[in-house]
Amino acid sequence: MQKLLELKDIVKSFGTHRAVDNISLSMHPGEKTVIIGPSGSGKSTLLRAINFLETIDSGSIFFEGHDVGYRQFKGKQVLDKPKIICKLRTQIGMVFQHFNLFPHMTVVENAMEGQVTVLKTTKATAHDVAMSMLEKVGMSEFADRYPSSLSGGQKQRVGIARALSMKPKLMLFDEPTSALDPELVGEVFATIKQLADEGMTMIIVTHNMGFAREVADQVVFMEDGSFLAKGTPNDFFGTQCQDPRIQSFIDRIF
Amino acid sequence: MKTRIEAITRSVVITTLLVLSLFALSAQAATPDPTGLNADALMRKASNIMVTGDLAGAIIIYLQIPAPGPEGDQGQFASSRMQAARLEFAMKNYSAALTVVDELLAVYPHNIEALQFQDSVKEAMMPQWKRLMQDTIKFVPHLLKGSLMTLLLVFFTIIISPIGGLLIALGRIGKFKPVSRLCWFIIWLFRGTPLLLQLFFIYYGLPAIGITLSPIPAALIGLSLNYSAYLAEIIRSGILSIDYGQREAAEAIGMSDWQAMRRIIIPQTYRVILPPVGNEFIALIKDTALVSTIAMVELMRTADQLFNASFNITVLGLAAVIYLLFTTVFTFAFEMLEARVGAYEKR
Repeated sequence: MQKLLELKDIVKSFGTHRAVDNISLSMHPGEKTVIIGPSGSGKSTLLRAINFLETIDSGSIFFEGHDVGYRQFKGKQVLDKPKIICKLRTQIGMVFQHFNLFPHMTVVENAMEGQVTVLKTTKATAHDVAMSMLEKVGMSEFADRYPSSLSGGQKQRVGIARALSMKPKLMLFDEPTSALDPELVGEVFATIKQLADEGMTMIIVTHNMGFAREVADQVVFMEDGSFLAKGTPNDFFGTQCQDPRIQSFIDRIF
Repeated sequence: MKTRIEAITRSVVITTLLVLSLFALSAQAATPDPTGLNADALMRKASNIMVTGDLAGAIIIYLQIPAPGPEGDQGQFASSRMQAARLEFAMKNYSAALTVVDELLAVYPHNIEALQFQDSVKEAMMPQWKRLMQDTIKFVPHLLKGSLMTLLLVFFTIIISPIGGLLIALGRIGKFKPVSRLCWFIIWLFRGTPLLLQLFFIYYGLPAIGITLSPIPAALIGLSLNYSAYLAEIIRSGILSIDYGQREAAEAIGMSDWQAMRRIIIPQTYRVILPPVGNEFIALIKDTALVSTIAMVELMRTADQLFNASFNITVLGLAAVIYLLFTTVFTFAFEMLEARVGAYEKR
């Protein structure tokens, strides 16, 4: 089967600091990868690079078998034309730690915005799609509310619906529950789990080990910009996490 | 003897005739004149008394000149009554003056002099506040015409300057250095010099390099450039105040820079920039007064002209009231707008 996403030798530096150091990763359609690791290990940078929110210094990103997002310009690797990048982003959904809902739009308008403005679908179709996605995350009855009147968990579920409304092939979750009160984490994970069960391909950056064990096909532990361990949940939680550095991280979380 | 008697008879006859003729002559004048003086004499007498300063005495004499009888006017009635009325007016006996004029108008209802005099007496009799009101009513149409020009300037500047301000702000935020520097320069120049100076430059200075503008375009260009520069900084700060996550969220669903700006960022700035923008627009209403210096006839210039013609301070008060009216309307309009654009954010 063709790989949906393949990262080859991704390098991204901020000044002299190598945030992402020579990382490679591949995913088949329907696969779920969970990336864990301490703060500042480059998890979010890697995730954002997949969506071109970060421009990588070297390496390549293959999406559905094509080398995408970058071109050679005067011997240097530069980001492709904005039009091409925008097109790619419509196929990759992103959910943010701080939700980043559009506060001046209602819940349903948030989920319609990308369809209408970017995909140029009609308002009626966009509304139908948005409502069905809100239904999926259990937020359809809040369709006409503004984000400011929602709880954190509800906001994040709307954030997921907004990403899903674009019918993406890949979903990226950047610490989707880190900004939530503990009692609200469950509802968001339940939503993501449901999505996973429906066969969505996803990469999740999280600190939540229990969730990693539950949904992941592949668990990656990242530190200082590189993968310290990579394997199935069984491998990871069975043997790999014996590594003292991973162990100390796990100890710190629990 | 016979000749003597003849002579006596002749002299008696002549004397009788003379006396009779004198009688007849005097009777003509004396019948309507109980004082025994004719109108010309009375006029002379009155004016002689008047020059001594005894105005009341002169009036008594003037009023003795009779109204025209069946033989027609003696030619002095109208002028005697006018004189009497003027003297009463000079002594501030306004109602007495009116009575005299009324007597004249009863005989000559269309005497223009009398009618005009009646008006000015009535005006003089009016209380202070009433006279002020009447002036006000006279000034208002002129001032309103002037404010129309002020409103026109405000209207077009409010349309042009936010567009100019947005373009300058975007240029300044943008990554393209030459444009960014140019926008910085525009803001620096127009914010750093007096608006009055800019107006002078555009109206009096540009002709030196062959660009001659009539007052309205010159005023509009000056005001728009100046206010674009101010609004640019307000808009820029509004854009920068929006969380960067908003931009990323917009990009993540595939929006271009411009789509993100137009659909996500700029609409959110309204809530932030509306209060300072309202402030600027209120300042603008008052700043339009400066264009009166480049031959524009708007509210301030009109008020100034009326004041110079009348020396009536009311006109300046009225202009102030009109300016206040405009600024008040703007204040409330912006308060309503603020409530509306901020509605999505509960407090």
